[in-house]
Amino acid sequence: MAYQLYRNTTLGNSLQESLDELIQTQQITPQLALQVLLQFDKAINTALANRVRNRVNFRGSLNTYRFCDNVWTFVLNDVEFREVTDLVKVDKVKIVACDGKNSNAAE
Amino acid sequence: MLTNTGPVAKLYLSIIDDVIESMRELFLDEGLEDRVLDDLKHLWESKMMQSKAMEDFRKNNINSANFVLQLPANYSRTNQALTVVIPASQNFHSFPMKNNSEMLPTFSLPAGLSYPVQIPAGVTLQTASGQLYKVNVPVVVTQAPAGQPPLSRLVQKIGERRDAPAPQSAAAPPNTLYRPQEAEPPSLPATADKQPPHPKTNFPPAQQSSLPQPLLVPPAEPSQPQPQPSVSLEPKVPLEENEPRPPPEPVNLSMAASPCSQLLDFQISTEEALTQTGQLKTRDIDDILKEVIEEEKKKAEMARNLAPAKTDNQSEGVLGLDLDFNYSELSDIVQLDGPAGNSDMEEEEPVSLEDNDFLGIINAEAIKALEGGDGSSDGNSISSSSDGDGADELDNVEEEDPLNSGDDVIEQDIPDLFDTDNVIVCQYDKIHRSKNRWKFHLKDGVMCYGGRDYVFSKAVGEAEW
Repeated sequence: MAYQLYRNTTLGNSLQESLDELIQTQQITPQLALQVLLQFDKAINTALANRVRNRVNFRGSLNTYRFCDNVWTFVLNDVEFREVTDLVKVDKVKIVACDGKNSNAAE
Repeated sequence: MLTNTGPVAKLYLSIIDDVIESMRELFLDEGLEDRVLDDLKHLWESKMMQSKAMEDFRKNNINSANFVLQLPANYSRTNQALTVVIPASQNFHSFPMKNNSEMLPTFSLPAGLSYPVQIPAGVTLQTASGQLYKVNVPVVVTQAPAGQPPLSRLVQKIGERRDAPAPQSAAAPPNTLYRPQEAEPPSLPATADKQPPHPKTNFPPAQQSSLPQPLLVPPAEPSQPQPQPSVSLEPKVPLEENEPRPPPEPVNLSMAASPCSQLLDFQISTEEALTQTGQLKTRDIDDILKEVIEEEKKKAEMARNLAPAKTDNQSEGVLGLDLDFNYSELSDIVQLDGPAGNSDMEEEEPVSLEDNDFLGIINAEAIKALEGGDGSSDGNSISSSSDGDGADELDNVEEEDPLNSGDDVIEQDIPDLFDTDNVIVCQYDKIHRSKNRWKFHLKDGVMCYGGRDYVFSKAVGEAEW
């Protein structure tokens, strides 16, 4: 099973909303919706690992850090994300990171 | 990552396609038609298009002038003042076609027609390439500024609130999302307004309407002594209602002394109530109140006759009354628990004093309520008098030692601290810390910032805590 943490993205949330609508109209069952989500987990993990090839650097101040169940959660302030040419400044950002070494495990 | 144009949108669309295709067989095994899966795809894609995550994609692909429309031959402009303008992009391949081609036809406005255009349901359109499209739902198309859907926010809200099956809207390509159904918006704000606001909790006004009610409320807890004061207090109200209320500066002693006699009567009645505890439990409060009221009435009449005599005894010793009666001062006297030299009373009612403490406080408050605030200050003093010295000592202690309240950590900020819309969801390769210097090695992340999405394969960062 792949990490389910990507369900809390725009793509994942929109999928869940769509599935909820179909469940409400009784077009699909909740079990089938769960299967769709599991398939989504696999697809997005694969896509991010294979189809994305860019590198980003960032720097900021660490407000809080938390490590629980092998999941890191950071809250950074005044962060600058820098790619090759672009720069984005964010006043507050939360980072939720699962263990990348054991990426085959579920969240 | 930061260049959120085509790559992110293409990635998302490819993920959508992968998921849909991988689920097709499973849907068939479940006995579901392809239509259901197509509906899911339409819903998903429409939601993604509505979100800002695909904003740049829309910005780069939508060309307001790139519409070519060929109306059907039987289309009459007089009957239907519109042309169907379905925005299309040659690069956009996510909308399903009946011929399953990846290329959408382009539509353009015929000469002489301008935005907004309305398309009623049932109109069949034919593209330049000869493909036929039937409009199943009324569509209104407006010309949006470049890259900006005019009603994207409304559309998002509509998407959230609509319960209508999505397939109906799927028949119309994305531009319909900009103005999904013009008939609906008027109702939607209404529904938005109809969303029940948080009900305002009105504090029960009963506590101000009549005296007995608030006094009955606190003793609702199942403690034996507490109901009794309320029971005994009840008669006080009707008694005072029947009697003329003594003025703040009473003229004659008989009028002023009546409260004192009433206080004594209440003590007696309380004692009687205590003796009848067992009976009280089994009887209704209303019945009990009625009985007590009747008894008190009788006692009041007797007390009036004996008021002067009693007054003399009480003023000197037990209650500490002054001849110069003030109704507010009388409330000061109702301190049955204090060291006021109530030796006689204590001997007579050793058990009831503890209850009378509460009684005394309630009586003072009752007096205050009846007088409409004349005895308010004194009432407060009474309520605090029983605690009196102890509270003063505590206050002094607090003033001297503020207990370093400034060092307290406010817990309220913690939930808000993690509540942010800017979230990065990723995996970590390595997290390193040296004193307060942290280094992050992240990978395969999706960042949502300001509603827009970014992706990265690797991210390296530093932060100081």
